[in-house]
Amino acid sequence: MDSLLGWLDDRFDGLSRRSHRDTPIAVFLIAPAVTILGVFGVLPLILSVYLSLYAGRGINMHFIGLGNYTRALTSEAFWNSFAVTLYYVVGTVPVSLAISFVVAGGLYRVIRGRGLLRTVYFLPYVTSVVAAATVWRVLLDPRVGIANATLSALGWIGDAPPQWLLEPRGVLHLLSGGWIPSGVGPSLALVCVMVFDIWHTSGFMIVILLAGLSAIPRELEESALIDGAGWYKRNRHIVLPLLSPSLFFLLIVGVIRAFQAFNSFYALTGTGRGPLDTTQNMTVLIFTNLYQYQRVGFGAAVATLLALAIVTLTLVQWRFVGRRVHYE
Amino acid sequence: MRRAEAVLRMVLLVAGAVATTFPFLWMLGTSLKTLMEATTPSLRVFPETPQWHNYVDTLQAAPFGTYFFNTFLVAFIVTGSVTVTSLMAGYAFARLRFPGRTVLFSIILATMMIPFEVTLIPNFVLITRLGWTDTYAALIIPWCANAFSIFLMRQAFRGLPVDFYDAATIDGCGHLRFLAWIAGPLVKPMVVTVALFAFLGSYNSLVWPLVATSTPEMRVVQVGLTMFSGAEGVQFNLLMCAAAIVIAPTVALYFAAQRYFLESALGAGIKG
Amino acid sequence: MNGRTFPLFQRCLLVLIATASLIGLVGCGPSGYQPIDESKVLFWDRQTTETADLLRDIIAEFNAQHPGLPVEAQYSGGYSDIFRKVSSSIQARRLPAMAVAYESMTIEYAQAGAIVELDPFVADPEIGLDADDLADFFPVVLDTNRYVDAGDKMLSFPFCKSVLMMYYNRTVLGEAGLDAPPATWDEFLAQCRAVKAATGKTPAAVDVDASTVDGMIYSMGGDVVRDGKTLFDTPESLAVFALYETLAKEKLCYQIPPGSYDDRDAFAQDEIAFFFRSSSHRTYVADAMGLTDRWGMARIPQADPAQPRTVLYGPNVCIFRTNPEQERRAWEFVKHFTSPEVNVRWALNSGYLPIRRSAARDPRIQEFWAEWPDNRASYDCLEFARSEPNIAGWQEVRDLIETAVTGVLTGERTAEAAVQELKTKADAVISGYLP
Repeated sequence: MDSLLGWLDDRFDGLSRRSHRDTPIAVFLIAPAVTILGVFGVLPLILSVYLSLYAGRGINMHFIGLGNYTRALTSEAFWNSFAVTLYYVVGTVPVSLAISFVVAGGLYRVIRGRGLLRTVYFLPYVTSVVAAATVWRVLLDPRVGIANATLSALGWIGDAPPQWLLEPRGVLHLLSGGWIPSGVGPSLALVCVMVFDIWHTSGFMIVILLAGLSAIPRELEESALIDGAGWYKRNRHIVLPLLSPSLFFLLIVGVIRAFQAFNSFYALTGTGRGPLDTTQNMTVLIFTNLYQYQRVGFGAAVATLLALAIVTLTLVQWRFVGRRVHYE
Repeated sequence: MRRAEAVLRMVLLVAGAVATTFPFLWMLGTSLKTLMEATTPSLRVFPETPQWHNYVDTLQAAPFGTYFFNTFLVAFIVTGSVTVTSLMAGYAFARLRFPGRTVLFSIILATMMIPFEVTLIPNFVLITRLGWTDTYAALIIPWCANAFSIFLMRQAFRGLPVDFYDAATIDGCGHLRFLAWIAGPLVKPMVVTVALFAFLGSYNSLVWPLVATSTPEMRVVQVGLTMFSGAEGVQFNLLMCAAAIVIAPTVALYFAAQRYFLESALGAGIKG
Repeated sequence: MNGRTFPLFQRCLLVLIATASLIGLVGCGPSGYQPIDESKVLFWDRQTTETADLLRDIIAEFNAQHPGLPVEAQYSGGYSDIFRKVSSSIQARRLPAMAVAYESMTIEYAQAGAIVELDPFVADPEIGLDADDLADFFPVVLDTNRYVDAGDKMLSFPFCKSVLMMYYNRTVLGEAGLDAPPATWDEFLAQCRAVKAATGKTPAAVDVDASTVDGMIYSMGGDVVRDGKTLFDTPESLAVFALYETLAKEKLCYQIPPGSYDDRDAFAQDEIAFFFRSSSHRTYVADAMGLTDRWGMARIPQADPAQPRTVLYGPNVCIFRTNPEQERRAWEFVKHFTSPEVNVRWALNSGYLPIRRSAARDPRIQEFWAEWPDNRASYDCLEFARSEPNIAGWQEVRDLIETAVTGVLTGERTAEAAVQELKTKADAVISGYLP
């Protein structure tokens, strides 16, 4: 093995010396990844953009230029899905980050049983979304689910048990007793999907943050404790700045993931669209159009718009949040 | 005062942990109920008399042996391949100077921005043209590299001090040997992380295997799971058995391997 | 970046674009379909458990009795999975010989030019069906496979047929002092109120389903589509949505999660009095409750019981363009499957209805009915059952119908508003609105 690598190195070295660059060895190193990503990632991407300029049901396609884009940007379905996507991103990423930050902080200070607790918190992340969602569907089933069984045992259910994943009315509407109009904010069904996602991904964030915390010198915190700094002060001035690279990483990755979320929607609601389309995020809209209605061009156009939204948001975060990240 | 705080903290953490595991307990409990118990609203998580034969029934209802063989074969090859391709590409993008580096890396990152659902049909057409439908190649090759893993490896290599490279070059050590014997081991935490993601991604994928394969001999476990929920005769208890059977291997693997990726300061290499 | 950046980058891009356009060209060219497997006649199906075993047995017998290319059934997921798989396969130009499909799916495949017309096979003197054979089928099961959008050609053949039925729980009705199921929708509403008043139970569980809504509109004496326009704003259709509205307002029904069978479970445990499902659910209810007089099946309530109507449910099988040998073989199997003998066996064991009139004379069927008279009721419905529209875009209209019902059931829309919105959107879809 070593001699093979050495022999290859010598060959590449010979090639490099002539060109005064690392190009030959770099081509060798990136070739497998670039080939696969080019063929199965970039190619479909180009094809998708190309198809977004056509109308038709996947056959007899004809060119219509930007027609699909104008249709998307003027359609109720698109803006509805955009709102659902935004609710979802805002409702999951910061919440799971906050929960993970608090839990990781707690776990870090626990000496005995930390390993076990950490394992338990990480557990949902290793289970398949399809299997876990299957379980959650039963948990939230209005009739046999433990959610309503618990509420009714507590005597909190009148003659209208919560419908969870079937409820299109806004959660703010329900909580405010009807004072806030139903269409404002996410539906209860969407909130259920959010809670599922928070449950499923927080373990991952906790482990990353815990690892980040382990890198913080203990003395720093102890001296702060001696100074009499409270929980908030310690976190705000010591822990948060030192964890900021990890938090920033989780934010970027979490936002991209949340924008593209599909499996949990599909597995929890059956179609992804949910009651009155209130869980139809952009990916579900794309999926429905591509595979349910055979509107290939329209679906592809929404996909391009989604990708643009993700790129824009990632760059914005990089600029405005990234600046505030504290690197040692 | 500090003792009270510690107790409170522990109580809250344990409460959170119980809440986190509750769906699993419920799944196990329901999987051991009779159909009647499973479809009756109740607060009971575990039944009085566990119906262990539910698991036997479930395992007999579908060829889980074949499913698991396929799933593991695919998942292990994908994991190995992703690890190797991203180590190589990550190193090149982090440490080598070559024309088009920035552009290529940006294109690779761009593939992260487009959801998988969009690439499904083009990829299916492609594997059909290649004659790969219903083969392991279709299940494996498209997933042997991914942008996120390359990104993570690149970040890890960039985190290593530059001196290492200079020292090694002076010693006459080429890039490949340096990568294999020095830099690679140094980024082991990230390698484990990347491998974990790759494994989970492959094990848990559903839509692609469903589209890319047709014969029962090529089916994977996640597809097997749909046979329990899609049918008209869906039975909650057997469905929960199937879910438990599908979840079990990843959980077991996680328990077996956790010390590697948790103890090795998983997040250490992840920095913006 | 410097001057040398471009060549490499450009080269990569060129290769990508070239390959992309190659795939695009190949992918969008006309016809030229091939079979996935030359040596087998593949049948993509969704049956699991016992019915899958029965289907396999029937196929094995067919293969033994009719030498030639073997037929092979492959489980391919649920209907939406099969639709996705076939759509992808159409793009890739490699198809199975046949697949189970609803009418709304078949017409989509047909528009991609992937479907074999069955009329020539039916008329074939050697392997076709004669006039007696054709007359033996209930007209509705064949008519639903003729597609207006394809010039009234027959593009699929009946496979698993059933009708919409009302399941009623005698125990719960008895608690309210009722001894017979309702014959009209007015009676149905009155019985629901009586059950609610007497027992406090929610009388009906609703599975939001477009076919059920179509069936209810038929039973009100209405129709769904005429001359390329939907009829959702007609009084008959409005009556259905108004009924849902009343049921929801008075808390006489609740909605079950899509894809679940909570209605069946609640029914088996005497929690509800009614649910509406396809007649094929009888086997599952019987499994849970036994063949007792605790429950029964009846045709759905009507506006006018003298002129009853209900909806015909269930998937058909369509044959794809592969090669003449496979297509012919697939037809032979379809013909075998719908022959009187096999059809009766399938009906007895799968829960679907026999689709031939001669089945009523079969001693096994008569024995079955003697044992369980309710099944006669669903068979009798075939005389007046009507199929659903099989026009292009109906797949999407189905979703719109279900959204409209959900809106009414959750109180987010009035029946009037839901019907108007549904009409506008559905008309736009079927008039060829194709972004």
